[in-house]
Amino acid sequence: MHLLKYDFNYSRRAFLAKAGTLAGAGVLAPLWPLIARGADIGKAYPDELISIEAWTKGKIKTGDVITAANVDVVKDLLTPIAYRQIKEMGRRIRIVATTRDVSRLFPHDYFEATLRNAGKASFGADGNVYAPNGERWIGGNPFPDAKTPVEAYANLTLSWGRHNNAVYAVKDWDIGPDGKVNYQYDFVWFEENTCGRLGPGGAFGAYTGDGHKDKLRYQTVMFTGPSDVRGTAYLNTWYYDQRKFPELVGYVPAFKRVRKFPTNQRFEPLAPGLTFYLSDAWAAGDPMLIWGNYKLVERRPMLGAVSHNQVDDPNWELATHGGPEGKTFFEYDVELIPECLVVDAEPVGFPRAPLGRKRAWIDARNMMYIGYHTYDRRGELFKSFEPAYGLYEKKGVKDLTGKHTTWSWTSVMTHDIQNNRMSRFVQAKQIAGGYKSARNVEGMYEKYLTEQALGRMGA
Amino acid sequence: MNTIRHKIAHWTLKRPWLSLLLALAVTAFFAVGAARVEVRTIFSDLFPETHPFVQTFRDHANFGNPLTVTIMLQRTDGKDIFAADTMEKIWNLSRDIDLTPGVDHDQVVSIATEKARYTVLTADGIFSNPVMDDHPPATPEELEEVRRRIGESPAVRSFLVSGDQTAAVINATFIERLVDYRQVFEAVQALSSKYSDGQHRIHVAGWPMLTGWIYHFGEDTPKIFAVTLGLMFVFLFAAMRNLAGVVTPLVVSLVSAVWGFGFVGWIHQPVEPLLMVVPLLLIARSFSHCVQATERYYEILLEVGDRRKAAEMSLAMMFAPGTLGIFTDVCGLLLVGIAPIPAMERFALFTGFWAMCLVPTSVLLTPVILSLLPAPGNLRSLVGEGGGGQKAGLVQRGLHGLLSAAGWLSTGGRARFTAAAFLAMTGYSIWMMFQLQVGNPVEGSNLLRHDAEFNTAVRQINRNFPGSMTLEVVFEGKEGRIVRQSDTLQTMQQLQRCLEGKAHPPRATLSFADYAPEANRLFNGGHPKWLPLDRNDAAASAASGALMLGSSPNAYLHIADFQQKNATVSLWYSDNRQATVDAALADARSCIGEVGEDHKTFRIRLATGSIALQQSVNETVDLYQWYILAGLNLAIGIGCSLAYRSVAAALILLLPVNLANAMLTAFMAFFGMGLDVNSLPILAIGIGVGIDYGIYLLSRICEEFKDAQHYGKAIQAALTTCGKAILFTAVLMTIGIAPWYFLSELKFLADMGLLLVIVMSINTVLALVLVPLLIYLFKPRFVSAEHHFLSESVDGWLDTHRLEQKTQS
Repeated sequence: MHLLKYDFNYSRRAFLAKAGTLAGAGVLAPLWPLIARGADIGKAYPDELISIEAWTKGKIKTGDVITAANVDVVKDLLTPIAYRQIKEMGRRIRIVATTRDVSRLFPHDYFEATLRNAGKASFGADGNVYAPNGERWIGGNPFPDAKTPVEAYANLTLSWGRHNNAVYAVKDWDIGPDGKVNYQYDFVWFEENTCGRLGPGGAFGAYTGDGHKDKLRYQTVMFTGPSDVRGTAYLNTWYYDQRKFPELVGYVPAFKRVRKFPTNQRFEPLAPGLTFYLSDAWAAGDPMLIWGNYKLVERRPMLGAVSHNQVDDPNWELATHGGPEGKTFFEYDVELIPECLVVDAEPVGFPRAPLGRKRAWIDARNMMYIGYHTYDRRGELFKSFEPAYGLYEKKGVKDLTGKHTTWSWTSVMTHDIQNNRMSRFVQAKQIAGGYKSARNVEGMYEKYLTEQALGRMGA
Repeated sequence: MNTIRHKIAHWTLKRPWLSLLLALAVTAFFAVGAARVEVRTIFSDLFPETHPFVQTFRDHANFGNPLTVTIMLQRTDGKDIFAADTMEKIWNLSRDIDLTPGVDHDQVVSIATEKARYTVLTADGIFSNPVMDDHPPATPEELEEVRRRIGESPAVRSFLVSGDQTAAVINATFIERLVDYRQVFEAVQALSSKYSDGQHRIHVAGWPMLTGWIYHFGEDTPKIFAVTLGLMFVFLFAAMRNLAGVVTPLVVSLVSAVWGFGFVGWIHQPVEPLLMVVPLLLIARSFSHCVQATERYYEILLEVGDRRKAAEMSLAMMFAPGTLGIFTDVCGLLLVGIAPIPAMERFALFTGFWAMCLVPTSVLLTPVILSLLPAPGNLRSLVGEGGGGQKAGLVQRGLHGLLSAAGWLSTGGRARFTAAAFLAMTGYSIWMMFQLQVGNPVEGSNLLRHDAEFNTAVRQINRNFPGSMTLEVVFEGKEGRIVRQSDTLQTMQQLQRCLEGKAHPPRATLSFADYAPEANRLFNGGHPKWLPLDRNDAAASAASGALMLGSSPNAYLHIADFQQKNATVSLWYSDNRQATVDAALADARSCIGEVGEDHKTFRIRLATGSIALQQSVNETVDLYQWYILAGLNLAIGIGCSLAYRSVAAALILLLPVNLANAMLTAFMAFFGMGLDVNSLPILAIGIGVGIDYGIYLLSRICEEFKDAQHYGKAIQAALTTCGKAILFTAVLMTIGIAPWYFLSELKFLADMGLLLVIVMSINTVLALVLVPLLIYLFKPRFVSAEHHFLSESVDGWLDTHRLEQKTQS
């Protein structure tokens, strides 16, 4: 006989008790001291928060597939749009076991930096995050045990991909309401952090000069296929000051011309057919202080695709299913995440935003978002961003970043629920143009992250 | 008395309570269906689905802006829009319309949104910025700057600000799956009230608003129903002045209505609110059949004194003419469905079934109810016999006088003069028929009155902007994204140039080919010499790609679909009069011939847009009116020939209703009304329903002839008995339909109401004068024949009954 130490609603009451307080993660015990000691998170959460079987009282088990037939059992663990996708549009998800070793939810170096720099971050008078010496942030999550919504968003914003830099070779499919592929793009996404860097070179690497020291990151998107968009590129230059809009320029190879975009043009797609805006990237596509009225709505368990999502496809492309043509959704493995911070924010710095607010569900273990919704100004659901992450290992084959197994995002589904258009994309091994996914690449700034580089790449 | 109708009468009245119970059970079944009835307008169903223009419309529904609401804010004090208060209103309106349920947030466009941009070229690159900064301009400097920016943006200048700069538009497009027209209408009307003041007027157009107006005015329908039903009830009560005479038509009409609505509820077909006048006509028809049967019941009851017996006899007597009358109603209503217009097909099914239900309800149920209700105390007065101290009522005496006059006109020496008058009228009507135009072009919608707020808005917007009346020439892609192909852009330009060079050019044209060269110029440094595109796909793709850089395809949905596989050339015309439409289509066909219809990657299709859809309806109505008329004459002709076993009888019945139709058409031509989808059902109803009067009267003449053996006397007797019921029901029907003309804000309903009253009035007069006249002049043999389906009277039966009574006493 198995005696339950805590009754079934213990965690619900515990989360409710934490509401409005500055409590950190963990129900039975604080989470982060346990993580720092390398202990199992089972000491921080009761069974019902780390076992789907316990949560559903045996109705769902690890390995089960959630479909329209049984989704109501886990409705409370899904974002509203994910629930509708499963209930109404033929989507399915597979349950995997909860990750209890939190180090598997980070890139190795970033995890180490998070532990090393814990407690060193603070907000300056200008609202930005600073290291103890008043410098830009020095690496890892500045607030690993975020207690406020702004702390949680700082974790998302200051380092998107959690590597010094990354090349994401992306294959994208844009699906119409009829389930057919309307557009398909190959594009490469370069991002380079100018601070919070990890490893040799220190927290700022080469980015200490006047031209860089007020910057947070550089980021380029370049389309490599199909031929009619090949070479079209955008360069985003982010300031460290989160009150300032990034600079945005576009490049059209056919004319060899750079086009300057208004800095606050954040709610337009980069290419026809894409359902997501620049503002949506990583649930933190805009500087965080341009948004406001942050609110920690609640803490709750959720289902999220945070492990086991690397596939053995040679180009890392996921299988699809659902929708009118069986092409609308990726196959995702999801696990029961014991604690997510549900954070709302409003676009106070955008007088013409089409949005009323955004909501992110952030995994308390690694402070990465596992779901993100935007709502229109009437409060109706508008778009969903649902990423999948994991360690890049499958059947004994590993992709390495340095000496360690790569951790990164594997795919994203972004669904405009109002127009019922889906953009879904994978981090592929390689795309048209020969670009390959990689991390911590030498010389990225000069090669890919300047206006001159845009012209060179598009030539 | 062993004919089928006698057996039916016998079995129906043998156990009247059982018959009533059975009818109630069926009614309960249909009541469940009636509760599920959905009343709504499906706009696309008002167009003929087989017409090539409508097929183009269905294949490319996004062209012509069917889901866009256009709000025009106009200054009315002579100043232009570059004033702080006006700019603030435009800004706030643009923000507030984005709060309307179902709006596509990517498709709200005005000078206050980021979609309206001006472009500046510098050595650093191309800056494309919103016309307005992050707030509405308030200072004189800011206002002047916005004026300057608008001047630098050709698209904004042409489509978002009026030429005289006194008006600006806000366009908001809705998502079809999410749009609720009532919500949109209410939200936009609220905004219109909120932002109108002494210096600003707001006009709102667009199909979502039109639908909203239809629903808005449609909400008056129950009130108009109540008024007309109330008037019909008062008239019925005044005429009958007894329980059975009032209750029976009400119950029977209610039962038939439940059956009719229940049927469409069970088959899940929505009822078109624009055609709601017809159900009222059917209620009136139900009243009419019921009153005919009641009148006959009273006559027999007075004779036999036994309610059940009288009911059985009246049923046996009225079954054949009643059923034949309903058969013609059903023919008329069902044949409307010949026109391949889905709304008409549904209408035909709904009303045709309802009319069929009048057989079991009006014909069978009426005598059942009458037999169960107490006999009226004013029986002698009701049948027009003044004996027993009862005097005929005022209404009765009035009717009698009118009918005697009809008999006087159609018999004796006057008949020749009356015939001559009819001949003259026929000649004039036929001549006028050929003057009738097809279509009733209005700026806006023919569903609404000329002075309706929506039509006024359309006129005002057309006056200040290219407008909303477009002809869309569709470039349908075969492969690839055609707007990125040189052949497409070149062909679009050639087509536009060709059309603009014609004698009657459109007032504006727009296509993707207008945008791409501008992008080419800007990205090549801004010199106008870069406007023309090189004639190769690389140049076209580069220009289109530059245009789409950082934009959603939604921003161009009015000229290219989301996938950019199909595109359109939009042509705006100053009006939609038939001459303009004919010239526009002829020019379009000629120019398509010049540029070639079929290309390697696309083909050019005529056409969609409001002008093309209007033309599709007009062409279909013009063609199918003849099919419907021919079909009706054939079906009713065969039915009547069989019933009377005489072709002459069918001709005598069809001649007046066709003449009535010709007279109606002449009336329309005389008053400048065109034949359109509003009047199409009237043609069929005018014949199918109008012929009833003739059938009742003709059957009665045949009956009376057996006693009188004299045409004049038989006609006079028939007119003063059956004619009374005809006149009575004609008045009743007029009361039921005429108020629609005065009370409904929906021109569609008002027109139908007016035309129905006119055609039914003409039919009444012709049935009462022309049918007897033709009988009197030609003295056809079938009148005296013993064997036709309708001639069998109950005289023998009555004689037997009298004999039985004598024996018993």
